[in-house]
Amino acid sequence: MPATTKTNFQLVSNGILNDNPIFRLALSMCPAVGISTTVMNGIMLGIAVLFVQVFSSCTIALIKDHIHPRIRIPTYTLTIATWVTVIDLVLAAYMPAAYKEMGIFVKLIVAFAIITMRLEVFACKNSVPASFWDGIGMGLGFMAGMVAIGFVRELLGMGTILGYDVLGFRPLLFFVLPAAGFFCVGIMMAMFNYMELVYNRKKKG
Amino acid sequence: MKEIIRITVGLTVSCLIAALLMGSVFIVTDKAKKHNEHVNIQRAMLGLLGYTRGHPAPPDLRLYTMYRYIIEDGAIRTLGYMLPVVKGEHGGYQLVVIDLDGQFVNRFKLNITPEKVSEASERASAIKAVLKPPKTFVYSDSTIVAKLGQKRLAYLLPGKFPGFKTFIDVMLAIDPSFKIIGLEIMEQEEDPGLGAEINQDYFKNQFKEKSFEKIKKINVTKEPLPEEYKKYLETKKGRDFPLPKGVVDTIRSKYQDKDIYALTGATISSQAVTNGVKNMIRKFAYRINRLDSVISRQHIPVAF
Repeated sequence: MPATTKTNFQLVSNGILNDNPIFRLALSMCPAVGISTTVMNGIMLGIAVLFVQVFSSCTIALIKDHIHPRIRIPTYTLTIATWVTVIDLVLAAYMPAAYKEMGIFVKLIVAFAIITMRLEVFACKNSVPASFWDGIGMGLGFMAGMVAIGFVRELLGMGTILGYDVLGFRPLLFFVLPAAGFFCVGIMMAMFNYMELVYNRKKKG
Repeated sequence: MKEIIRITVGLTVSCLIAALLMGSVFIVTDKAKKHNEHVNIQRAMLGLLGYTRGHPAPPDLRLYTMYRYIIEDGAIRTLGYMLPVVKGEHGGYQLVVIDLDGQFVNRFKLNITPEKVSEASERASAIKAVLKPPKTFVYSDSTIVAKLGQKRLAYLLPGKFPGFKTFIDVMLAIDPSFKIIGLEIMEQEEDPGLGAEINQDYFKNQFKEKSFEKIKKINVTKEPLPEEYKKYLETKKGRDFPLPKGVVDTIRSKYQDKDIYALTGATISSQAVTNGVKNMIRKFAYRINRLDSVISRQHIPVAF
């Protein structure tokens, strides 16, 4: 893939819609299924991924000419691990309140496929600004997906939204369990595809 | 060959750079991180004793930590309690060794300052200096004794036991008659919406004010949590009262000797916490009674 010709806005919207990490690329499904039980979890993990993705993308875009092609994957992993550790340590030291909420999510990120994939496909071929906007788009897309799944699962499983009791009862306890995550992702993916189909048909007709 | 060398060098260099970065960030942030953890635990302990920002602790409240070590000398196993003592104007620490039958064995004066005592490595080297070489020792646990003026106010027990998924880290406050003052969940990774509800007031406050007699044989009941009891458990002190004042006392006495109501869909987590708390208190009561009798017989000038 040659260097991108997209504008910054297109790069961001690409991450949220066309190449949404969860619904279109189907990457990083473990956290999507495991963590997305509440809207708050989705937001927290989304913020954490956003930061790590942007920092890692920029770093790789910056040093891409110095990486030997044979060792690029280990280098990506190292970059992500370094940023995750740095963010984790800095949060724990200077923002204890934020760390209390986000600490466990930040540590999870090292193994995320979506970040490695964006470094391999995009950041190692593009300039720093383009990688920055791509990172923002991917992070926001991931967050949007997590929040959408979290919304459904929290509402149906616990009867609450963001911890506020909206239904007053728990309709389907099953939705809190990991297995329900797969159902949610599957149904939403189908909806996403269907909407695109309708949109394209309208555009043609 | 040249390629292999370039790859090796490249990998080594990038690892070194990453290690250097992470190491320097660690060095810069470590102090602040430890401080935050300390503040966090301190706040949890004071919170359990009922002291909050709006209602701060009195100035004569003192928290003393004692550390328990298991000492092995070949096949003989003894317990070593590292106790804060009063001596002159500066406090110090002594290692009191007790055998498994509760009999006094020996005691040593430790060369350690109160500032350094929270560091595990400092404690280990101080103990190593007094124990003769064939003896080995491992750290077991610690207890915090809260003293208000001249009398013991409470014991604070940090504890850890297996939950449904991973370990549950708790802090338990009990008064000198081993009645529970409060329970705080420090760290847990139970399922959100199910086991993670152990963190909610309506679960952990059920342990409050359970007597030692009750705790010794407490169980988990699967009956639904009564609405009035839930309201009572979720009421915070000093906040607006959803319940009339007379009702509060009736509800308290009505449910004081009841078992713990399990969380919906998380019986195992509820049982894990209940049994964990039960074991912690039972073991602690046994140990502190033995330790106290040794302390009074040997006239050890403990600070607490």
